[in-house]
Amino acid sequence: MIQLFHVSKNFGPSIALNTIDIKIAKGEFVFVTGPSGAGKTTLLRLIFGAEKPATGHILINAINLNRISRSKLDLLRRKIGFVFQDFKLLPKKTVFENVAIALEVTGFRPKVVKKKTHQTLRLVGLAEKEKAYPLSLSGGEQQRVAIARAIVKDPLILLADEPTGNLDPDLTREIMTLFKNIHQRGTTVVIATHSRQLLEGTDCRTIVLNQGNISGDTR
Amino acid sequence: MGLRFYFLRQALLNMKRNVTVHILSLGTIVASLLILGAFLLLFGNLSNWLRQWGTALSMSVYLKDGTSAYKRDKIDSFIRGLPGAQIRRFISKEDAMNELKAALREEAGFLERLTHNPLPASYEVVFEASRTEEIDPEKIKQQLEALDGVEEVQHNRQWLKRLEGVLDVVSLIGYIIGGLLCLCVVFIVTNTIKLTIYSRRDEIEILKLVGATDWFIKLPFLLEGMMQGILGGGLAILALFLGYLAFSAKKIYLIGPAPLEFVFLPVGYVAIVFFLSTVLGIIGSFIAIGRFFDV
Repeated sequence: MIQLFHVSKNFGPSIALNTIDIKIAKGEFVFVTGPSGAGKTTLLRLIFGAEKPATGHILINAINLNRISRSKLDLLRRKIGFVFQDFKLLPKKTVFENVAIALEVTGFRPKVVKKKTHQTLRLVGLAEKEKAYPLSLSGGEQQRVAIARAIVKDPLILLADEPTGNLDPDLTREIMTLFKNIHQRGTTVVIATHSRQLLEGTDCRTIVLNQGNISGDTR
Repeated sequence: MGLRFYFLRQALLNMKRNVTVHILSLGTIVASLLILGAFLLLFGNLSNWLRQWGTALSMSVYLKDGTSAYKRDKIDSFIRGLPGAQIRRFISKEDAMNELKAALREEAGFLERLTHNPLPASYEVVFEASRTEEIDPEKIKQQLEALDGVEEVQHNRQWLKRLEGVLDVVSLIGYIIGGLLCLCVVFIVTNTIKLTIYSRRDEIEILKLVGATDWFIKLPFLLEGMMQGILGGGLAILALFLGYLAFSAKKIYLIGPAPLEFVFLPVGYVAIVFFLSTVLGIIGSFIAIGRFFDV
């Protein structure tokens, strides 16, 4: 599903990723961990096509991101859900509108948009907050809105960047249960985190990054 | 169907969210188009009037001072013998002076100091419209001026050529002003859409991240510019029509027999103004999304 071949990325003189190779199979649940600045976010952004690698190739579902046109990348992104560290919710749109936006861009009919958005918000436990605005929600609720937006279009891949970074242990468990549920539906899930608590006792594959290099992979 | 409504809804929402900017820019667009429309209205009416005036033929036959009644009768009969000619009225020296005083109103005081009346008596002659083609005004002018007692003859077609020249200059100035006003409209729309893009940059970023194509995001902005153009054009035409109503009741007489009747822009011109404003709106927003759309 996701393949990285000799991928490097630098921002000026600073090296974010240093000639790494990763293969993630369809339906895998993978944690990417490492200290701050290890290159976790860069890795997710490269997979998402938000950044271009300095060297190497990235294949998503057998499509080489180096050779894809801008418009094709837009279409590919419809198959990838991304949960951002800072949620990236629109404060002037309701919870419903924030989630529905992901379907509207794909050209779904309004009836379908409505139905799928309701279903997804029920799945993440926010059916009662559809009309609320993001700023009136708690951190955990905002995170669930961001997750709902990422999964509403039934993506093949779900990428999450520090999804529990600002949450207390109870909420962290709640969110992780949500990711497990999504994974059980067949979605490939990649979560970048530096939280040791999240990784304790997990049997999921964990890739450890350190200063742009892979220092461990439990595969 | 749903997607089309989505674009329209987004465009309307954008306008609602940036209502102050849109009202200000709409006001400027209306003002620019109003100037353009007013120019077209005046120019159209002037050309119309000149055309009417050109087909009608009128002459002023000025008499020498002290022309005897006998000579006047001869001139009178000569005029009546011309094809299609009608003496509209005879203006005596006194009548001419009185008309001048009436025209000058308060400023007529200096005329009292004149020791003698310098204004000549004259005939106002009009020719039947159906026969003006067969008449050579220059030839008649020469014949009349050869008569004893006639000082000078002036006909409206002498003025026509000069006025047509003036009209050519006016139309050239009009094209230049019109072009500048069109640029002004494009500039205003570009800046308004630029502000809207900036105000929605977070949303644009998120739309891109969830897989929206460039055109999916750009289209509402194009529609927004087009709607500005349509609204601006519509309001300018409405304002112009209201202005026209204020003038339309009046018939303005200049020299010659044809009154300057004020008519509104022909439907074709209205359509051009409307179409132009819509196109300018689209061009303005097109420039804005081309230059300021960077995601």
